[in-house]
Amino acid sequence: MKRNGADNMISIQGISKHFGEFQALQCVDIQIEKGEFVVLLGASGCGKSTLLNLIAGFEQPTAGRIDVNGRQVVNVDPHCGMVFQQYALFPWLTVEENVAFGLKMRGIAKAERLDTAHRYIEMVGLQGFERKFPGALSGGMRQRVSIARVLANDPDVILLDEPFAALDAMTRQVLQDELLQIYEKSRKTIVFITHSIDEALLLSSRMLIMSARPGRVVTDIRNDLPMPRNADVQLSPRYNELKSRIWGTVQSEVMRSMQSAGK
Amino acid sequence: MKRKMSRAALITISAASVLAFLLLWEAVCRLGKVDPIFLPPPSAVFDKGGTMWRDGALWTNVLASARRVMVGFLAATLVAIPLGIVLGTSSVSRAIFDPILSFLRPLPSMSWVPLSLLWFGITETQKYSIVFMGTFAPALVYVIEATRGVDPLLIRAARNLGASRWQVMREVVLPASLPQILSGLKVILGLSWTCVISAELVAAREGLGFLIMNGKEFFQTEIVVLGMMLISVTVLLTDFVFRALEGRVLRWRE
Repeated sequence: MKRNGADNMISIQGISKHFGEFQALQCVDIQIEKGEFVVLLGASGCGKSTLLNLIAGFEQPTAGRIDVNGRQVVNVDPHCGMVFQQYALFPWLTVEENVAFGLKMRGIAKAERLDTAHRYIEMVGLQGFERKFPGALSGGMRQRVSIARVLANDPDVILLDEPFAALDAMTRQVLQDELLQIYEKSRKTIVFITHSIDEALLLSSRMLIMSARPGRVVTDIRNDLPMPRNADVQLSPRYNELKSRIWGTVQSEVMRSMQSAGK
Repeated sequence: MKRKMSRAALITISAASVLAFLLLWEAVCRLGKVDPIFLPPPSAVFDKGGTMWRDGALWTNVLASARRVMVGFLAATLVAIPLGIVLGTSSVSRAIFDPILSFLRPLPSMSWVPLSLLWFGITETQKYSIVFMGTFAPALVYVIEATRGVDPLLIRAARNLGASRWQVMREVVLPASLPQILSGLKVILGLSWTCVISAELVAAREGLGFLIMNGKEFFQTEIVVLGMMLISVTVLLTDFVFRALEGRVLRWRE
């Protein structure tokens, strides 16, 4: 892996973030290449959401700098599309209007933006629901709309903050498969947050394990499970080998953070 | 065991209740228990209503008041909504306007009557200004409160999709707070009627408030009661129209 190479889509250098006395992140350095599917894995409170918010520009770091596609992040930028756990769809807009929202903000004509929206609605398998309001959709369908909305905006990077955590197990598995297919088709750079080791192994091309208090990257593992993947990959010996290795790291981090929290 | 009654049955009961009330009222008057100067029987009130309907006076007065309400209310709303959204989302502009707003808020619309008469005379503009001054501050407060209730995650999502500050206000804060704003405006609409009637009671040549006051001057109590009934019916009707509009605008909430 090259450091500061020209191929780096996201470059995170010496990032620290304090909220008053509380140190959420301490000197985080991560280089992410174009087209990588990076999963940030860690127990709750390890600062992984904070890191994502910094990449998206929602918050500013206390120290260090972040560059996305060669430009320093100083404000919210639509080049980093975010998929939120709570969907964050606009309830007064129909599915197609939600998906076309970013294009509308850029002043793209109505016919053209609806055309683009329909393409991505089809990609996430929601044909026939274009005119429905989000209130009429299930959680899984809402998250599909949210993914289509980000894709339609054609960002350089897609950030997903525990996007499937609120869904039931079966819907989650379907959406994981769909996200993999979208990744293979679009080859976008993806940063995905989860606390599920299985989810990380199924989706990622690379996994970064974070520790808590203060948040740091403790392990960087390349996920060499063969692509294209589906749920069957969980039966392979290599999968279990990686899983137990990750679990070893995560377990000691969780124990450590529980002990420090108890003090 | 309680059973749920059908809608038709409930409406029948309501209609019977109204009818019983009117009959009781009529009976009390007919039996000579009260002087018609103090309380005319409903038949006399409806009779007067019929006469005034035929000579056009009924419409003239209802329309005069309704027009004043609409102009004053719309003017107040059209200023309060954009201003309220800006104030609700920007703490600096709130710091500028909050003291002025706190000063205006406690003033009842009636307290503006002397000044407005001095400034505009007994004119239509004076009536509009009374409605405006009586409703603007509370409308603004409703709008500001409504924008505070907007989910910050939606604003975040919109900015992430490339919305500018102004676009966030127009495309997210306004529609997201619209249900709250509209339910506030329903209250404000009722308030505008109060404003216009009180303005007309003091100084006017037409309108429902004028009708009542004029009836009293000439001891035509049936006109007073008729005027009061007309105010009730008109306010109920405008409220009904407003609810219908609200339902259309907020059809996504189904």
